[in-house]
Amino acid sequence: MAASAVIFLIGLVGSVPVVAGALQAPPPSQESQAFDEFTQRVKEYLKLHKTVERSLPRLKTTKHGKTIIDHQHALAQKIAEARSNAKQGDIFTPEISEQFRRVIRTKFHGAAAHNMRRTMQQGEPLTNVQLIVNGAYPGNLPRTTVPPTLLLNLPQLPREVAYHIVGHDLALFDTEARIVIDFIAGAIP
Amino acid sequence: MQRRLFLKTALLTLPTRLLRSQGLTLPVKSGSVRFAAIGDMGTGDSAQYDIAKRMVEYRTKFPFDLVIMLGDNIYGGKSPGDLAKKFEMPYKALLDAGVQFRACLGNHDDLNERFYQFFNMNGQQYYSFKKGNVRFFVLDTNYMDPKQLAWLENELSNNSGSDWKICYFHHPLYSSGAFHGSSTELRLILEPIFLKYGVDVVFAGHEHVYERVKPQKGIYYFVEGASGELRAGNLRQTDFKAAGFDRDRSFLLVEISGDELYFQAISRSGLTVDSGTIRRTVHLQPAAPPSAELVRPPAN
Repeated sequence: MAASAVIFLIGLVGSVPVVAGALQAPPPSQESQAFDEFTQRVKEYLKLHKTVERSLPRLKTTKHGKTIIDHQHALAQKIAEARSNAKQGDIFTPEISEQFRRVIRTKFHGAAAHNMRRTMQQGEPLTNVQLIVNGAYPGNLPRTTVPPTLLLNLPQLPREVAYHIVGHDLALFDTEARIVIDFIAGAIP
Repeated sequence: MQRRLFLKTALLTLPTRLLRSQGLTLPVKSGSVRFAAIGDMGTGDSAQYDIAKRMVEYRTKFPFDLVIMLGDNIYGGKSPGDLAKKFEMPYKALLDAGVQFRACLGNHDDLNERFYQFFNMNGQQYYSFKKGNVRFFVLDTNYMDPKQLAWLENELSNNSGSDWKICYFHHPLYSSGAFHGSSTELRLILEPIFLKYGVDVVFAGHEHVYERVKPQKGIYYFVEGASGELRAGNLRQTDFKAAGFDRDRSFLLVEISGDELYFQAISRSGLTVDSGTIRRTVHLQPAAPPSAELVRPPAN
């Protein structure tokens, strides 16, 4: 499978509301503060996802592949319309990105680094793919394997959202609409 | 112990001899759980269709009503036409006969395949189901996040009875394939859980060969990733390889009766490339590591 493609733009862009995480005493570390903020932004995205999803016929298991594809495309299109002003960094703000980069860097220089790189390699990693917010993930490309050790150290995500590693980028991905929500360029060393 | 060593040796010498065998080696016992295992099959190419026809042929002698799919169920495009060409058409005879397919997701699969009714995932990325005295745990190893690990532990601990515990997923924890090899990071995370809760047998795909691994800490591992794709000559010699076949496509038939599991790996041309029996010791304590031994080759 060729591991090169360009993720194309479905629609332009909306914004995810910014909800600052509340500070508790004692003051949390920069990391937990950033991750709390990230989790809050993901929640806001999820709210939008669910609102859009409710406007569509509910997807049930079906023998008709067309129903699944049509639902996916409709969901992607409506989400892209609903956040037509979205841009890179809306969820992965500079502060949040910096904490992600720090955690990822630490893991990739630690004892687990060799196995993590091996996992990514075995998953047939994508290269030369240009990520675009609200861009669709082409159906003919393989899913990348995210090292489980890394997943253990990143904020957990709801079922509808997942991390993807594409080349050296860390993407936040809508698993049902198959679109890129946001990404950190060059996060993976 | 002498008996065990002798029988293990006898089984390891089987493949060469069985390459000449065309018949069914499974006992087809009354009331047994029977299934086929296929992996990395969804190419839509003629080799996939050949394997499907061979499965239909064997089903006349070995009536199975379940096929476990070890991932990469649909390569490339996922359009309705692709689903037809890469799944519904090759397996039409089996589907028409009421055979149930149960899929896990490979790296070439789309998460939305979980809504495809023929894959019987009921919208779940990972799930478990029971058939006879066997409990299957189906994982998505593309994305082994803490949520899935917690689910697995919970499912295993809630099913700590005397059923066989079989896990299947895409990436092999042990593989002698030169292309990918063992998924060592995944092994570090999953193997302790399998040991803790007494998983008996694990099936995986991803590597485009057939391989049976020597029991690792008492757990049996099979790789069947050549039911459509093939990496000819890709198997290396490793200290954990018990048997393997990398010269053509293949599929696996499995029968479980009581505490015995019988297996037969069959090539596209109908040759038996591996077969044998696994006998397990029943574990009623979830914390006890499983032990199982190879007992005897089945009569041809």
